[in-house]
Amino acid sequence: MSTAIAVENLEKTYARRKRRDGFWAGLRSYFSWETELVTAVSDLSFRIERGESVGLIGENGAGKSTTVKMLTGILVPTGGRVETLGVVPHEQRRRLSQSIGVVFGQKPQILWDIPARDSFRLLKAMYRVPDDVFRFTYDEAVERLELAPFLDTPVRLLSLGQRMRCDLAAALLHAPAVAFLDEPTIGLDVLVKERVREHLVEMRRRFGTTIVLTTHDLKDISATCERLLVLDRGKLLYDGSRQGFEARYAEGRTLDVTLESDADAPVRELLARDVEGEELTFDWSVPRRLRVECARAASAPRVTASVLKHLAVADLSVHGAELDAIVTRLYRVGKAAP
Amino acid sequence: MTTLKAPSARQLLHGFVVLAQKTAQTKLTYRLSTVLTLLASVTAYCVFLLVWLEVYRRNPHPGPVTRSEMLSYLVVAFLVNSLLVMSFEVRFLQRVRMGLVAGDLLRPLGFMLFQLAQATGDLLVNALYAAPIYAVGYWFVGPALLPASALSALLAVLSVGLGFLIAFGVSYVIVQASFVLQSGYGIFFLRASLHQVFSGLSAPLVMFPPSLRALARVLPFHHEIETPARLWLGLVPAQEIPRVLAEQAAWAFGLVAAGELIFSAVMRRHQLQGG
Repeated sequence: MSTAIAVENLEKTYARRKRRDGFWAGLRSYFSWETELVTAVSDLSFRIERGESVGLIGENGAGKSTTVKMLTGILVPTGGRVETLGVVPHEQRRRLSQSIGVVFGQKPQILWDIPARDSFRLLKAMYRVPDDVFRFTYDEAVERLELAPFLDTPVRLLSLGQRMRCDLAAALLHAPAVAFLDEPTIGLDVLVKERVREHLVEMRRRFGTTIVLTTHDLKDISATCERLLVLDRGKLLYDGSRQGFEARYAEGRTLDVTLESDADAPVRELLARDVEGEELTFDWSVPRRLRVECARAASAPRVTASVLKHLAVADLSVHGAELDAIVTRLYRVGKAAP
Repeated sequence: MTTLKAPSARQLLHGFVVLAQKTAQTKLTYRLSTVLTLLASVTAYCVFLLVWLEVYRRNPHPGPVTRSEMLSYLVVAFLVNSLLVMSFEVRFLQRVRMGLVAGDLLRPLGFMLFQLAQATGDLLVNALYAAPIYAVGYWFVGPALLPASALSALLAVLSVGLGFLIAFGVSYVIVQASFVLQSGYGIFFLRASLHQVFSGLSAPLVMFPPSLRALARVLPFHHEIETPARLWLGLVPAQEIPRVLAEQAAWAFGLVAAGELIFSAVMRRHQLQGG
């Protein structure tokens, strides 16, 4: 397997003008202003092999989008080295652009005023897509993403979901060697997200496309990526397999309980008192259901016993924390070192 | 190590032509808006013409240009100006401001050719609208609006092409500022004002006060409008034509090259807005 992306000690800092509130402060800023140096990415190193599918996750402001922009060449790093498909992206951006596809969520890239079908034809010409490749990628996108009903509608009249699907199709029409997808499912409903994920999986299967996916929806990662890069404040927190991540950080357990009847408030209080001292989160939001998140695996037997003692249980299961629960906890507890 | 293949000139040209066509198609989508904009500028320009006619009525010899020459010149200048409206400038500023330019930076045509193709698309549609304006102008001015000769027409068309590249080059240089400034609209209006004053749109440069005329001569703007208009009307002496066209070509290619250099420098330190 050859390397698609190599990053060594990558850094990006930039100066940001500080803005103060109010009219007078605005006026004063004409004559004097303060800037602060922001470190978006710091000492980032990783390699991605061809054909890999990698999820890049992190909180807002973690440096995901900045990293993607440096990998594609539209931002120049302030330090370190980056290579995408063997070239330094910002030095050979034009040449590289032929072999990569990019989706920036919420930033439509297809022409706004004409139908998507016309944009696709334009991209075919600009990217010099061979007819046989175009036939496959176009047909696959139209079918998988269900584009047919609105292919002839001007893009400005499409819904967000329809537009995002068109954008994704546009980014993959030329069967790029690497696809950078920066929040491609943002704002989409569950069904559309599912279609997007299927399309990514199919494109990867057919063309061996390397996928770099940033997202806040961890189901995207579960469905499409084997490997995770977790960023926190510009630094790499975790680099490894999704399963490895779950094994390392899934310290807790989740109890899913189906009840024969809803538990009233006194019973709930009784249960809570019975397991006092444990680090737990109770979720009673669904009728006749209870979910208990245990921060420590060792709490699970005691909680299970209490649940069985106080509630009329129809069904009960105990399982390790899911990816999104782990990540949420990591963000919340201040990012334990790997 | 992967070797990424550079596109051939033929492939680039194909992409360029298709993008220009699609841009023209986009512009035609807003035909009513375009017609209204055009009507507004024709109306404003008619008022301007009437003012000049009044000047000539009061003083038949206000300068070295006759009434008939002035009238023909102003109509041709307006036509050339309407051809060279750079809509891509406003699109560019909006896209930089919203961060949408990120995708434009990743097109295999390259950023400059990507913008030039869009400007060419605008030019195609502008040319469609210029035809009826010429017809109205002809009805108003008469045969004086015809080119002085077939050669004059040919040279003027060549000159409009170079003027288009100059207008594009100026805009391309100017809009780079929007990568650095938080909003590029100030510099856009500065460019528009300089164009308005020094291009010869309001009057041929010979009517300017000597100091302003000298300044206009060292700026590129008069080659966008005055030069093609004077060539069309046969007002450029034959022995000066090669020099004038060479000057235009030098400005055109110099500005486009400067735009590319500035773009490379700007890209080293720019930040994309909008996350």
